Amino acid sequence: MDLVSVKGLSKRYGGIVALSEATFSARGGEVHALLGENGAGKSTFIQILSGAVRHDGGSILVDGQDYRPANPDAAQARGIAAVFQELSLIPDLSVEQNIWFRHEPRTWLGTVNRGEMRRKTLALLERYDFPALRPDQELRRLTLAERQIVEIAKGLAKDPRILILDEATSALPAREAEWLLKLTRQLAAEGRLVIFISHRMAEVRAIADRLTIFRNGATVAAHEANAVSDNEIVTQMIGRHLDRLYPERVATATDRIALRVKGFSSGSRLSGVDFALREGEVLGVGGLQGHGQRELFQALFGATRASGAIELWGKPTSIGNPRQALTGRDGIALVPEDRRGQGLLLTKSVRENLTLSVIKRFTENGLLSRQKEAALVKAMVDFLRIKAGTPEQLAGTLSGGNQQKVIFGKMLLTEARVLLLYDPTRGVDVGTKGEIFQLMRDLAAKGYAILFHSSDMPELVHVADRVMVMRNGRIAATLEGALISEEGILGAAMLETRAA
Amino acid sequence: MSGFLARNRLIVLAYAGMVVLLLVTAMFSPGFLSVSNMRSTVVLAAFVGIVALGQTFVIIGGGIDLSVPWVLNSAAIVMALLCGGQDLPLVWVMPLLLAGGAFIGLINGVGVAQFGVPPIIMTLATNVILQGLILVLTGGSPTPSAPALIQFLSVGRLSGFPVIALIWLALTLAATLLLSKAAFGRHLYALGTSATVAEFSGVPTARTTILTYVVSGLTAAFAGMLLTGYSGQAYLGMGDAYLFTSIAAVAIGGASILGGSGHYLGTVAGAMVLTILTGLLPALNLSSGALLIVYGAVILLTVSIGSETFAGLGGRLRRKEG
Repeated sequence: MDLVSVKGLSKRYGGIVALSEATFSARGGEVHALLGENGAGKSTFIQILSGAVRHDGGSILVDGQDYRPANPDAAQARGIAAVFQELSLIPDLSVEQNIWFRHEPRTWLGTVNRGEMRRKTLALLERYDFPALRPDQELRRLTLAERQIVEIAKGLAKDPRILILDEATSALPAREAEWLLKLTRQLAAEGRLVIFISHRMAEVRAIADRLTIFRNGATVAAHEANAVSDNEIVTQMIGRHLDRLYPERVATATDRIALRVKGFSSGSRLSGVDFALREGEVLGVGGLQGHGQRELFQALFGATRASGAIELWGKPTSIGNPRQALTGRDGIALVPEDRRGQGLLLTKSVRENLTLSVIKRFTENGLLSRQKEAALVKAMVDFLRIKAGTPEQLAGTLSGGNQQKVIFGKMLLTEARVLLLYDPTRGVDVGTKGEIFQLMRDLAAKGYAILFHSSDMPELVHVADRVMVMRNGRIAATLEGALISEEGILGAAMLETRAA
Repeated sequence: MSGFLARNRLIVLAYAGMVVLLLVTAMFSPGFLSVSNMRSTVVLAAFVGIVALGQTFVIIGGGIDLSVPWVLNSAAIVMALLCGGQDLPLVWVMPLLLAGGAFIGLINGVGVAQFGVPPIIMTLATNVILQGLILVLTGGSPTPSAPALIQFLSVGRLSGFPVIALIWLALTLAATLLLSKAAFGRHLYALGTSATVAEFSGVPTARTTILTYVVSGLTAAFAGMLLTGYSGQAYLGMGDAYLFTSIAAVAIGGASILGGSGHYLGTVAGAMVLTILTGLLPALNLSSGALLIVYGAVILLTVSIGSETFAGLGGRLRRKEG
């Protein structure tokens, strides 16, 4: 019998239909992937399942019994736990305090039993072979990836029969992502149901037994994973045929050096990086996470301090802050890692976000010209096909892909021809991913120089002209031509690590 | 303009509240709506409004300025001392004291933006230091009376209009221009919404922060001089009431106390609401203690009605209906 069976599920927010005809069924002991573009209704669906949101219509049966949780606690009581993209952890508490938050083991006095909590934490971490985590570490000291892992531990601490993972791998570096995939298989082997959301087809392929595809708030299909091709899946997700995810890689690099970096160092994370990025080139930056990629991008943009020499279009430059980086055509622009924390004013409009870095371009005699601003905004919204009701829509209400487009638009408006793209497709739906890759190649063809980091290795392999592999804050290897492959990147990153 | 109103529902709400309050007050105290009474209400509100101008900028930028009481008080007392009741010295005393106010703001701003001192601590410290300096300077002795020119600015009239109301109007136009029509405004809202995003977008965050405190120092010092004209002389503690009212006016005017939203046009309504309240409460024949309690409670209520919390709640309610 199905562990979960959903029929005709619907949910409206005011006039917006988030979910209209969702059906879903899954058994215990399987990994069930949930696929769909951003805004397809996946998030609403799992929010309903996890008790965060109540549905308007339709029915859910869990174990054949009617299921309508009033809140996440009620969902957990029925054995359903979720690990969400938006992290729910408390920065001031330790790892273990977060894992057992509100479910702390108690002494007979009713106080928290610290010894028991530590024992249970260690047992949990060991049982599922968690990557190294110190139970007493304060959460605010952890990286985004480590926090995601704590979030997963927190979900597992409830010993759920149904575990929902919402893009849990998107914040994880390759090795940890692999661990998580293994973990889902282990959980399924224990008879649990894992509902798995990911935008990475390779992952879905690797672990899913079955998959359900959502589009526009409704279920369009459910398949046995081995009975359907990638192409069929993508076509069903976007409702049209997507020719290919990765655009054709035409070599457009010239001999002209756009950005030359020499002896670039920053703290202990970046030590003596040298490279040259050419006009018309997409230069990939790969390697295991935490080997200086973040520091390199932030320091080049002036967001953190660094020593060493930078030349932009042949001219020595010093960049002490982002303002000195964003200097028009000869400048350098960054699409940052943290879309919501660094890239977007979520409570401001698409228009205000797009033009924030180029206010000068529509200022006359010290006063803003709304007509000129509107023209800039319209040009960018059209060029990038940003799907917003009006330019006045708040950026925070856009889907992930469209939010990322707004950040691209903001940086393109600065006219900087050296672009730093840090994981620009993270949490972005497959349709928009394709658009972003195409955009990168188009910009390169126009003479832009692009430094591109991705936590998803196939992207580097398929989009970049060359790939620099970072290791311990240095460039361990630069791969070109046929040498660019996942094995090549991992090899350079890991063999070197062993040698060190 | 309709776009502006749609985006600033809270400002509309503040003006609606002001009108309701006016009508209620008129019910309890007939004659409140008379021309002469409205005129004196506007004059009193102008002092709050002028101090709250700088406070609006600071709060939109994500900070808070607790140094207004003694910047105001210092300007008042130093002006009275330097002028000795004469008009002529005002020619240099006024620019000097405005520069002094701006300088205190500069110190606040640099402390917050460059040295990372939390705004509450930074401005509280300057406030206390100024208080100490003034006590040392005056030894507690009374100051000479205010120059006639400054009295004209604060209580005089030009063809029926209070001069200070005209000054307030001019400042309102200037502030609106800065917030809505200048790059500074865009930078300010971005800064208050997220300092990190603003920094990553190339906004001159340090310069913008410092500028808000400079404006606040300027308006507080200016208000201090005008207030001396209104009361006829400067005295210790004359700025104390303006700490609370300047912040409350901004909040009632619809700005989030956390920064990133609001407008001086809302603060203007906030200043009016606060002043009308002080006119309403005595009409209710309460003891002075009870008066303060009601005053505080009403402000708390008004601020929570005007605050983002309420906007969020309203949004939720509407969604339920829909």
